[in-house]
Amino acid sequence: MKNIFLSFTAIALSTSMSAQIYMAKNCEITFFSESPLENIEAINKAAKPILNTSTGDIQTKIAMAAFVFEKPLMQEHFNENYAESEKFPSATLKGKINEVIDWTKDGEYKATVTGKLNLHGVEKDRTFDGIVTIKGSEITISTKFTIHIADHDIKVPSLYVKNIAEDVEVKLNATLEPYKKK
Amino acid sequence: MMKIFQKTVVVISLTVSSINAFAQEDLLSLLDSVETVKTHEKVIATFKTSKVINMQSTETVKAKTMDFRVTHRFGNIGAESGGGAHTLYGFDNSTDICISFDFGITDNLTLGVGRSKQKELIDGLVKYRILSQTTDNHIPVSMAFYGDMSYNPQEGSQFYSGMAATADFKHNDIHRFAYTSQLIIARKFGSRFSMELVPTFQHRNFVLANINPENGAAESNDLFSVGGGFRLKITRRMAIIADYYYIFSKYRTNNTVSPFYNPLAIGLEIETGGHVFHLNFTNASGIIENNYIPNTTDSWLKGGYKFGFNISRVFNIGRKKH
Repeated sequence: MKNIFLSFTAIALSTSMSAQIYMAKNCEITFFSESPLENIEAINKAAKPILNTSTGDIQTKIAMAAFVFEKPLMQEHFNENYAESEKFPSATLKGKINEVIDWTKDGEYKATVTGKLNLHGVEKDRTFDGIVTIKGSEITISTKFTIHIADHDIKVPSLYVKNIAEDVEVKLNATLEPYKKK
Repeated sequence: MMKIFQKTVVVISLTVSSINAFAQEDLLSLLDSVETVKTHEKVIATFKTSKVINMQSTETVKAKTMDFRVTHRFGNIGAESGGGAHTLYGFDNSTDICISFDFGITDNLTLGVGRSKQKELIDGLVKYRILSQTTDNHIPVSMAFYGDMSYNPQEGSQFYSGMAATADFKHNDIHRFAYTSQLIIARKFGSRFSMELVPTFQHRNFVLANINPENGAAESNDLFSVGGGFRLKITRRMAIIADYYYIFSKYRTNNTVSPFYNPLAIGLEIETGGHVFHLNFTNASGIIENNYIPNTTDSWLKGGYKFGFNISRVFNIGRKKH
């Protein structure tokens, strides 16, 4: 009898533990570069951020080739000359939420994430401001930040300084749900 | 009782350890295990434009864009082939000029039209990308079909010049068409080097009934050839490019009366963002396949090479939906 009871608690415990992992069911990452000659915008829907609510760890991998541009030529140049997607296929973002959030309570929370952004093979310590929205079992995260592309060793030839901004604005919006092991 | 207790301990410790393992795991490695469906990513920029130099590449014009191309070949550089100082090494002449517009119907289908100075050729092309090489080598090569049909609108006296007078021969517009079919097979090795192989079949509706006096072979309407080309990236925006055709034609082999040569081109490719420039040297006597493959009469060894350039500019002709 005791045995059965203990097994049940163990199982219950383990399921509640695994529910602490959340994975994005959809995620949109956009970047925007505004310059005198042209605006460049791209959208990536392939990333799957993962959140561990027990530790506050949040991580995502972003496939560079999955950025879709309005002009196919821009996309080719982005991959070939700037992001160098063959050499650096993905960017990673690994951080920890600084605030203590009650993940069981619905609501909107301001949060900051401190961590590392690895882009174009160059890692930078960053802090991101964002908003976490909890609604039932769904968690929505959104953040906006700028990347100074020179920080990541991405060079823009002097001929194109009027086409490509030094700082690009990145927005991330993701809806996460409890991760179920398949 | 003791046994049951032991079992319980085992169950609990197992569960706890599995939780610990889970929590300590790098979250991203979890992601890798989830992404069981691996995407076969397409290799980009095997070549930079739809042509290597003279030869077609596997690249197509992307959907809703138009590639405007200006292709120019100056005169021969060597004095032996009509060049030399008196023509400023060919710069005073133009062997051929072609202006063409290629439209991306889908990302894999291109339709185009062009007009050449030489023989006043008007041509229409279709290119269909059959395969795209993937980064994981799931598909090891890119492949495209290329078809070109050209029409020669020259005066009858020019078009039929060199023909022996025969009373019952009737001029017919159908004579003026010529066709090229190619299978283009390309592979990009790493991020710098790409090469391609191009088996080619051509048919000309009308050819002069000339005979090679050396071996008795007659000129034929059908012509087989195989082309090879490469691109070697030397900086982010520059590459060395070259292409060559070997033509299987007995009539063209050691023909002392009217010699023919295999077209070879080498050049430098410069990409400036919106434009792609090719600066090149070639012995090819024309610009479109229906012309330069059967009709190259200039020889590198006799100074019959000319300077030329290709300019490609891609325009958007519609908004792409995300």
